[in-house]
Amino acid sequence: MDHILSVLIFLPAVAGILGFLVDKNSAKTYAITVAAIEFVISLWLWMSFDGTNSGLQFVEMFPIVSSFGINYYVGVDGISLFLIVLTTFMTMISLMSLTITDNVKNLVLSVLFLEMTMVGVFVALDAILFYVFWELSLVPMLYIIGAWGGPRRVYAAIKFFLYTFAGSLIMLVGMLVMAYLYYEATGVWSFEITEWHKFVLPFEYQLWLFAAFFIGFAIKVPMFPFHTWLPYAHGQAPTIGSVILAAVLLKMGTYGFVRFSLPMFPVASVYFIMPIAILSLIMIVYTAMVAYAQKDIKQVIAYSSVSHMGVIMLGLFAMNAEGLGGSIFLMISHGIVSGALFMLVGVIYDRKHTKLMSEFGGLASVMPKYATIFGIMLMASVGLPLTIGFVGEFLSLLGFYNVSHTITLIAGLTIILGAVYMLTLYKKTFFGPVEHEENRKLLDLNKVEMASLAPLVAVVIWLGVYPKPVLEPIDNSVKSLLSFMEEKTEALETRYDNSDEALEAIEEAKNIIVVSQNREAE
Amino acid sequence: MLEPINVSLESLNLGTLTPMLIAICGALAILIIDLIKKDLDKSLYVMLGILILAVDLGSVLGQQVNVRGFFDVMLMDGIAIVSQVIILVGSIIFLPLALGKKRFHEYKYPEYFAMFLFMVAGLQFMVATDNLILIFVGLETASLALYTLIALHNRERSFEAAIKYFTMGALAAAFYALGSAILYALTGSVEIGQIAQALGDRNFEPIVLILAAAIFMIGALGFKLSMVPFHTWTPDVYEGSSAPLAGYMSIMPKVAGFVVAIRLFEFMIQSGIWWVHDTLMVIAVLTMVLANITALVQNDVKRMLAFSSISHAGFLMLAIVIGTTKANSALFLYFALFMFTNMGAFTMLWISRHKSNKFHNRYDHPFEKFAGMIRIQPVGAVIMALFMLSLAGIPPFSLFWGKIYVISAAVDSHYITLAIIMALNSAIAAYYYLKLIVYMFLKDPAQNDGTAYVKNASKSLQTVIGICAFVTLASIMFVGPILDTITYMMQVSGF
Repeated sequence: MDHILSVLIFLPAVAGILGFLVDKNSAKTYAITVAAIEFVISLWLWMSFDGTNSGLQFVEMFPIVSSFGINYYVGVDGISLFLIVLTTFMTMISLMSLTITDNVKNLVLSVLFLEMTMVGVFVALDAILFYVFWELSLVPMLYIIGAWGGPRRVYAAIKFFLYTFAGSLIMLVGMLVMAYLYYEATGVWSFEITEWHKFVLPFEYQLWLFAAFFIGFAIKVPMFPFHTWLPYAHGQAPTIGSVILAAVLLKMGTYGFVRFSLPMFPVASVYFIMPIAILSLIMIVYTAMVAYAQKDIKQVIAYSSVSHMGVIMLGLFAMNAEGLGGSIFLMISHGIVSGALFMLVGVIYDRKHTKLMSEFGGLASVMPKYATIFGIMLMASVGLPLTIGFVGEFLSLLGFYNVSHTITLIAGLTIILGAVYMLTLYKKTFFGPVEHEENRKLLDLNKVEMASLAPLVAVVIWLGVYPKPVLEPIDNSVKSLLSFMEEKTEALETRYDNSDEALEAIEEAKNIIVVSQNREAE
Repeated sequence: MLEPINVSLESLNLGTLTPMLIAICGALAILIIDLIKKDLDKSLYVMLGILILAVDLGSVLGQQVNVRGFFDVMLMDGIAIVSQVIILVGSIIFLPLALGKKRFHEYKYPEYFAMFLFMVAGLQFMVATDNLILIFVGLETASLALYTLIALHNRERSFEAAIKYFTMGALAAAFYALGSAILYALTGSVEIGQIAQALGDRNFEPIVLILAAAIFMIGALGFKLSMVPFHTWTPDVYEGSSAPLAGYMSIMPKVAGFVVAIRLFEFMIQSGIWWVHDTLMVIAVLTMVLANITALVQNDVKRMLAFSSISHAGFLMLAIVIGTTKANSALFLYFALFMFTNMGAFTMLWISRHKSNKFHNRYDHPFEKFAGMIRIQPVGAVIMALFMLSLAGIPPFSLFWGKIYVISAAVDSHYITLAIIMALNSAIAAYYYLKLIVYMFLKDPAQNDGTAYVKNASKSLQTVIGICAFVTLASIMFVGPILDTITYMMQVSGF
């Protein structure tokens, strides 16, 4: 199938438009069906994807504004493939577990539009196309948080929107500068990411452009000083909003680093390793501590989700195949695990309309199935071996060990801190006597909830035990990305003879960027 | 005894005058029809007006590029043609808005439509010449007609608006006259091309007089383009006029004003008179920022849109400051797209217009009126949201393309700080556009009467909204060809 990516992008959007005509009582079923078809297509994409090929596949291209070099240009490689599958999978699951009944038609249609933008971000290979989907994803999310959220939903929704919008406008200026530099050097306008990858930028420009893109991506991730919008958004969002936000939207930021910052500005990326590592470390430690102090179950999970994003950032900037590959794997596992945890919180919230830990206790005896699944997800979240969370976290930290022993050590210790707050949460909620009598009447998971949670459990254990089918394609693409960065760094070196700072940075970059740690042995 | 002057008809090249003549003759025809038969329905005049403008548009499209005519007064260069096309298309969209369901006073008079066509002719004269006197004639024809159109809305606030606009406009006209007088005194010519030549020859001396002329011109055009600090009339005038007219005013006269500004200021900027460049830049940035901040605190959607259009004008003034071909193309691309989006937004206000103010004792369109619209009128709410998102510059809706092209022009000319200011202003602006979306989508309904939003809706209004929404939504499909055409036109006319 030649146009499988276009189908994947636009199927949900077309379905969303047609969905206006579907009766409001059938809209949910309609949306689930569409999401399921979309998921099947993405599985088909995975099956027909050539895992041994590290390049871009299923590429499609036609011009939009040809004189300005803007094209509709999409393609997929090992890095984006699993993020696409994650997107379609989590959208389907979150729609299945949807319990909101008020105005549900508008909600599910927004989710379908959101799915289009999320898939679009991961397959776009043209910077402007990427930006289009990136910005467009804010709109349905604004509506989802703002219309179905908690009491302060409007504030949370606007904060989410404006924060991200402001950051990405800086990124847009960065893109336009990049395009102009490319134009100056080659005489052709182009926004193709693949062309930009080949273009060797002088060191000074790399620094500035890296900073511009960093603001856009870091707000989305969210990196430490820019993270304040996220707890609000999570706290106020409805369950489906939190699930999609944590599972997919945050990954757009980290994906942006892989797609843009690392290959385009390899030297600047190495130059900024330490500041970014320290910010990530603060993100890991600080949010873990904040999480421990929360009384609200959802807030604990929100902060723990930010904390784990810090590990992903560390892995990304490890600049070697283990770290980068592990961090991309961690994006997938974080998507599944944090999505599942938010769904689990949603289950209990639907029953009791509160998320405070103090309102629960002893749930293990009342809701055994629920307690089991919560336990599995929790273990995956803290990174227990043989669960999905372990693989990525281990590889990310292993990768970063190459860069800095101390930071890796502190980050590794924080995983224990993570275990502390998660286990405390579990203890307070599930163990001990049932303190509130009305909790005895709580029903265990019903069939729909089981049906939506069981696949997640299966994936968590399957990929925890046998991650190879996912890791291998990622590894191939990551290695080609890294060797590419190496080449670019070397190409840049020949251009400088006397600029000490630039040469130093390039030298460092050459040392840090390693395709594989055991290269010498080969 | 004076020698008889011999002018051959061919050298007059009357073809360059046909577009304006068509509009003027059409206006006269409407007046004559009214003389012959009374009590004809407004729909007749609307359709007649559309036909006249369509013929006018045809004759503009048939013009050769870079031709002078009529004693070399008329100049049909690329920007003249592009801007006339924008003005005419905008006018064709505007006319059907008279056919609302509710009866409004002004449309009873055929003079309204005649006046409108005179105004269009005036705007066309303004853009299709580089003669300061003819620009003045066009400017005043258009303005006087426009004052009357505003006043015809026949509410107390409209009179206030018309008088306010009139006095301000008179002041601007005086500024313009003084500015041109100084330029004439310096150079002995009223043609911008020759003025530029003469000023260049004398090496821009004496600088004091040139400064005075430039300041007067900036003042005059500043009023017309509602630049800070000459912008204070704008929100009141928009509020007082009917919604479609406010939408019209926010674009078409400004297109004409921008063309004059390009012709006047571009040579000053190009020839390195830096303080003109700097003054314009400061004014443009201030316009953008202050209008944005004021728009944040408005309680009425129409006033909010008024301030937003001031801010957009400031944004576009920066394109003139940058002054490259790319920036000028971006300016017209922006207007071509902005026209549809803004007219659409104002039409959405127009179809929800009531005779009496139901929601607020002062405003016609307070934000509260639109609370919870998604539950009552989902299609209307989605379309209005589409216009707001486009105005905010969310891709892939139309204005985004204009916006990135302007910002990219800034980047190309190494105005990186300016580019960042422009980008961040879009973020500020997003807040007030979102405010309406928040009211429409996230608040509980203020009322259950769905017809409140479509009180004035008729087939023709819905068609206009449909066209505007389609262009806003699908702009990604045709922004490439439009851009190519505009860039070509800019290049041939040397801007």
